[in-house]
Amino acid sequence: MTPRRRPGERLVRSYVVTDGRSHPSRNTLDLVTLLIAADDLPLTGLSPEKRRLMELCRPGALSVAEVAGHLELPVSVTKVLVADLMDSGHIVTRAPVPSARPSDARILQEVLDGLRARL
Amino acid sequence: MTERIPEAAFWCVAVGLLAVTVLLLRQRGITGRQRSRNTELAQGLRARDEELRHLVAVRLPALEDGPHQPHPAVGLLDARLADTDFAKCLDSVLDRFSGAVEHAQSRADQSAKAALKASMRSIQALANEQQVSISEMQDRHDHPDVLRDLLEIDHTNAQFGRRAQAIAVLCGSWPGRQRATSALIEVVRGATSRVRDYRRIRINGQVDIAVESRAVEPVVLAVAELLDNAARHSQPNTSVEVNVQSVHNGACVIIDDAGVGMDGQATEHAAALLAGRDAVDVTRLDDPPQFGFAVIGVLAARYGFSVSVDTRSPYGGVRAVVFVPAALLTHADTVQEAPTPADPTPTPALTTTRTSPRTTEPAEAITAGGLPKRRRRAPQASATAEERTAAPTEEIGGRSAEENARRMGAFARGTRFGRAAQDASAADEAPHENEGNTQG
Repeated sequence: MTPRRRPGERLVRSYVVTDGRSHPSRNTLDLVTLLIAADDLPLTGLSPEKRRLMELCRPGALSVAEVAGHLELPVSVTKVLVADLMDSGHIVTRAPVPSARPSDARILQEVLDGLRARL
Repeated sequence: MTERIPEAAFWCVAVGLLAVTVLLLRQRGITGRQRSRNTELAQGLRARDEELRHLVAVRLPALEDGPHQPHPAVGLLDARLADTDFAKCLDSVLDRFSGAVEHAQSRADQSAKAALKASMRSIQALANEQQVSISEMQDRHDHPDVLRDLLEIDHTNAQFGRRAQAIAVLCGSWPGRQRATSALIEVVRGATSRVRDYRRIRINGQVDIAVESRAVEPVVLAVAELLDNAARHSQPNTSVEVNVQSVHNGACVIIDDAGVGMDGQATEHAAALLAGRDAVDVTRLDDPPQFGFAVIGVLAARYGFSVSVDTRSPYGGVRAVVFVPAALLTHADTVQEAPTPADPTPTPALTTTRTSPRTTEPAEAITAGGLPKRRRRAPQASATAEERTAAPTEEIGGRSAEENARRMGAFARGTRFGRAAQDASAADEAPHENEGNTQG
């Protein structure tokens, strides 16, 4: 129902976007890694995709998956671009907010018991 | 008496002799005339024989090479035969022959074109289908090694599709794909995607000009052919420089290579093909066939842009200039947020549910995977918060009159859209399904 763009219709193919590379220069990126743009570096000399990526990240942090969605690029291709931008200092990453630490089963049991006692 | 007889006889003989002499003289004159006439006739016959031989050996073969010329390239051998019936007969033979040659040639050309077109279109459709599956795989797989292989396959597939597309266009087919209006830079990069040595191509220039959707694919194809030529005819360690410029009544894509260049004859030949005035004869391309310029010529003539290759590049090779007139261009600002033109019907689900007062921005975009895109709202958050706190103080019943009117209008519009879309989608379902299959 939604006007979905078919992925095969991308005019600029992925290998042109990454200049033929498939391996990001660093292996630390994850789907949920948060990207923060450095404000002080100029955008001259960047490819159109990298420039758009910077513009997306300028107002705050976005995750790799979100950036890939906005750029309409595969995540693996986006990672190559992000790694390049990290190398040139345009982007810094922050590890994702850690999920809540699984609590002790004993504490959970106690809470459950307490709740049961009250209700 | 006896003397008289010899005298009479003498006179008789004399008269006879005189008559004989006169006759002989006359006969001699007649014979001489006959002889000269004979030789004349023999000469004429020989000339005609020669003329016939000339016709078979020289004039007809000359016609075979260029039957389109109105007057035969080689004329009569003997000028004396001009204006005779014989010459007229020869000319009519030539006419019939050239007519037959032309007919046979056009039939051969047509059947070759039809066969090539049909097969290339099916190959093109397959290449497109494969491209879709490759793209989906790229979206699905995250591993760099898989991506490397996919990129290679994708690159080969793009070149393969371009070849099929070029031959199909040459045979009178349409370029095949409907694309959204795209920035000129993206169009050039799209062309780069379809060339073997894409890594040697450097694109310079920043213009905020976009190409109209109907011209995107033709310009991509033409630029791709030029880039391929440029890369193919230059050393592998040199780069191909592309400059995109905006000019007074249009835009230019300038492609410079540092290759061997073209000599005068090649330039003339190329210019004739690029002008696209004459119909291209598929059976007469060189061996191996050279499609490039012919394809560009066909596209340029059909869509109204122009290509020239007659300048020398400052790098020593050829400078190719593609001039796209303003009629095929539009401004780039309208491109970014424009919805895909393939689906002009508004989506009822979005318009009805998103009319709440908070979303003052346009309807949300959708990613390739079909998920709604999250827009950053950090700078607007404070503004909406202010609005929300300020609003109740001046409103009665929670919302203003305009607000109420807007909501009612939106509701009515949504209902109408919903009903219309329901009717339309029932009717449209079948042709939409088909489109994907026959698209090529």
